[in-house]
Amino acid sequence: MTSAPLAPLDSDISIDQLMRDPYPIYRRLRAEAPVLRVASVGRTFLTKAADTRRVKDTPAIFSSDDPNTPMKRAFQSHTLMRKDGPDHMRERMAMMSAFMPKTLMTHWVPLYQQIAEDYIARLPRGETVDLFDTLCGPVAARILAHILGIPEASDAQMQQWSQALMDGAGNFGWRDGPFAVSDAANVEMDALFEQLWDRHRATPGPSAYAVMVNAADPIPKSQIFANIKIAIGGGINEPRDGLATIVFGLLTNPDQLEEVRRQEAWMQAFEEGVRWVAPIQASSRRVLEDVEIRGCLIPAGDTVMTIQASANHDEELFDRPELFNAFRNPNPHQSFGSGPHHCAGAHIARRTVGQIMLPLLFDRFPKMRLADPTVVRWHGFGFRGPVNLPVTLN
Amino acid sequence: MPALVFVSPTGTRQEIEAREGDSVMSAAVAAGVAGIVGECGGAMACATCHVIVNAEWWARTGGRNATEESMLEFAASEMQPHSRLSCQIRVEPALDGLVVHLPEAQL
Repeated sequence: MTSAPLAPLDSDISIDQLMRDPYPIYRRLRAEAPVLRVASVGRTFLTKAADTRRVKDTPAIFSSDDPNTPMKRAFQSHTLMRKDGPDHMRERMAMMSAFMPKTLMTHWVPLYQQIAEDYIARLPRGETVDLFDTLCGPVAARILAHILGIPEASDAQMQQWSQALMDGAGNFGWRDGPFAVSDAANVEMDALFEQLWDRHRATPGPSAYAVMVNAADPIPKSQIFANIKIAIGGGINEPRDGLATIVFGLLTNPDQLEEVRRQEAWMQAFEEGVRWVAPIQASSRRVLEDVEIRGCLIPAGDTVMTIQASANHDEELFDRPELFNAFRNPNPHQSFGSGPHHCAGAHIARRTVGQIMLPLLFDRFPKMRLADPTVVRWHGFGFRGPVNLPVTLN
Repeated sequence: MPALVFVSPTGTRQEIEAREGDSVMSAAVAAGVAGIVGECGGAMACATCHVIVNAEWWARTGGRNATEESMLEFAASEMQPHSRLSCQIRVEPALDGLVVHLPEAQL
């Protein structure tokens, strides 16, 4: 169909480099090789915003369907994340109402407010604590447990299950260790879900579990469990890392923090934080037919990686993209993706992190400061954020 | 090019020109209409392009499909009898002059 050459092949970029700091690499690729086969990852990187957007918006050519990923092994199920078309839509819509604004406003906001207040109130004033461990992770876990209809799960369990599923799903080396951990997590999750089945049947409610179980035409039990696991795997590290990133961005830009506070522009700070360092940096799509991108042939069967982290720093759309600027307007980031797989938790994230957590946290500790910005470490290629956030609370 | 009119909750009217074949949502986003987000790009996955079609135009835009209805039912602003997701309305000559009202909130 096309006689275009294949995309150039890179043999230098290592996964370790990408884990440490991918942004300088992406800046170079946007300028020099925006379509690039990266040998170490085994995928074709797309680093320009227009290309990542086109891929996500064209699922008929760029498919999510890939039955042979470590994700299937880790989740012990072919989940909606790796389906297309009506099959994906049916499983997504089975739980979508639980994540939508009307449900959040009607049922959850007062509870979230309470959870946020409780978790922030536990933090010791005057001391230096790691907000990543003491607040960002636990509060994300607690809120998610309620939305999903599994509040019996502890914060520690939720976070451990989530990490186990993600490590398993990312286990492209197919090593035994990560799958042993995800298998153990599956046993624990399945046991809890089984135990809660009858109660959710008997008492319909707004949680994801309850709406799936009580639907007029429910999806199979296996897929109800798979959907809850997908939400656990994909619903903790993103709000956790997003919150930590935004707090870091504001604390290292005190002028902006002051202005955000004055204007109550917390939602803008939220959008900028998730643009600046997207919690989900990259996604994969399988190419179903030969296609040309920027003069490069991407053959059918190839897997492209949309690098939304790079799209969010595309100089064609963003001025000085490397800087945190809470008042950036417009801010057309792609951190929630687009197309049929657009992040189902986007509404929840905006409300819980942007509208509830940020104002509460900075209200309670108006003089909070980073103990030492240079000790904050950032990590991750597929998912990225700070891994520690020591702040002095005042 | 067909003209589209967006009326804000406070009554401000904004008229834009739209290309035939585009969706009302993408035309609005391209023209920078405040109040239309359309983050998912038209996949009925985010419900942030909610509009209320002016009653006179309802017969010409047609009604909601099943997924659209399910999403609007839980959207940020209450679904009205003539609510649509604007990503599901295709711009065509017969819609020249279409008037839609924006809801209070999309997020």
